[in-house]
Amino acid sequence: MGRLVEHPILNVKVSGAAEHMVFYFEDQPIFALPSDTIASALIASGIDIFGFTEHEHARGFFCAIGKCSSCLVEVDGVPNVRACITPVREGISVRRQIGRGKPKW
Amino acid sequence: MSDVNGTYDVCIIGGGITGTALAYSLCKLGETSVAVFEKSYLSSGSTGRCGGGIRQQWSTKNNVRLAMRSVKLFENFEEDVGMDIEYYQGGYLMLSYDEEEAEQFEKNVEIQREEGLDVEILTPKQVSERYPYINTQDLIVATFCQTDGHANPHKAVIGYAQAAKRMGADIYTHTEVLGVDVENGKVVGIQTTRGYFKCNVVVNASGPWSRQVAELAGVELPTESYRHQIFVTEPLENFFPMMAISFAGNFYMRQAHHGQFIMGQGDKDEKPGINYNVTFKFEKELAEKMVGIFPFLKNLRIMRHWSGMYNMSPDAQPIIGQSDKVKGYFYAVGYSGHGFMVAPAVSEALSELIVFGKTLHTDVSYLNVDRFSNEDVEKEKNVV
Repeated sequence: MGRLVEHPILNVKVSGAAEHMVFYFEDQPIFALPSDTIASALIASGIDIFGFTEHEHARGFFCAIGKCSSCLVEVDGVPNVRACITPVREGISVRRQIGRGKPKW
Repeated sequence: MSDVNGTYDVCIIGGGITGTALAYSLCKLGETSVAVFEKSYLSSGSTGRCGGGIRQQWSTKNNVRLAMRSVKLFENFEEDVGMDIEYYQGGYLMLSYDEEEAEQFEKNVEIQREEGLDVEILTPKQVSERYPYINTQDLIVATFCQTDGHANPHKAVIGYAQAAKRMGADIYTHTEVLGVDVENGKVVGIQTTRGYFKCNVVVNASGPWSRQVAELAGVELPTESYRHQIFVTEPLENFFPMMAISFAGNFYMRQAHHGQFIMGQGDKDEKPGINYNVTFKFEKELAEKMVGIFPFLKNLRIMRHWSGMYNMSPDAQPIIGQSDKVKGYFYAVGYSGHGFMVAPAVSEALSELIVFGKTLHTDVSYLNVDRFSNEDVEKEKNVV
């Protein structure tokens, strides 16, 4: 899955490479637009498994409005971050969350 | 009152931990003509709203004994009563931030050790070595007892209620007691929203409503209910085994079986009276304080926030016994915020008192209401 490049009604602006920023998902560099959430950048890069339940079922993007807890990821070691409503920032390290999340202190 | 819906030896008012545990204990002693009357659903009052801690670290010999007996009963709960209630002996870590209180803690530990309780005294350095996730700033001393712990209060009530039913007790939920019928100074029956029931014994186990329920029989109890609030966060992996509590710091917190953190604090400005609302002030104050002491809470969201009643007695200890005015009227009320943890032992003692006229396992005579006729009341200090 990629980004839309054209749409019958909406004007789609295709961004130039200069606007891209980079963050890391499981140590892999991911390109993102400044207006991306973590989830939109991951989906645009073809990544749809954001983590696993404690019973090893895959989890990912579902409600897209911060309600369902399906897209929880770890950002710089902090668990339970909702990828769908968290804007990307340059250089952050995002990891798949497994189960309930490890505490950080 | 011509319609008699039933006859029981014992009618218990209140379907919380005390009422259901008492029904269970009575049935165990062979007294199966028992009914519990609950005006809402089981554990809808203080039990189902409590923090679920179970501790033995008290400041008086009698309270330590009562709590130790209770822990024995919790340890055997699954086998005896037949339900897994998430009972976990992860210990109680009591943190002191006050010089005077720290001295009192050392005296308490002496009393507790005399009773055979294994309690450790920890310096702030020992605390941060053992629990690197606790910020020990301003901490003076801590005590730790491994056999303390916590359990799920709802499951405990359901466990007791089901076991009591299996042995022959009846449980009436959504049934309010409207009156207690007293003739010639003796209990003869109760009027409820499901009709009239004849009985020889009435037990007031109504928690927050203890004083009003006592008035139904013309009995006076010096209890007053105060709102206390709790909130619970989203879950993390289980890593925090104990209940952490501080009286001077005014908080307690534990991690539940499913990983959520349950925490609360008291409010000195709270007015007496039944009030189940919650306040933003509580959320803000407690969240700010707890993140300082337990930094890992910083990124957790609050999931739910509720309130429950502490049924306070003048000395912050339960009031247990039999009325000397009205024969057949028993009470187990005024637990002052620690009813869940002592209820198994209290109910055992109360069932013995009802059936045999004396207690066999734990002496609860020191908790009789008569103690308040004495001018100087010795207050239990270990209460949040």
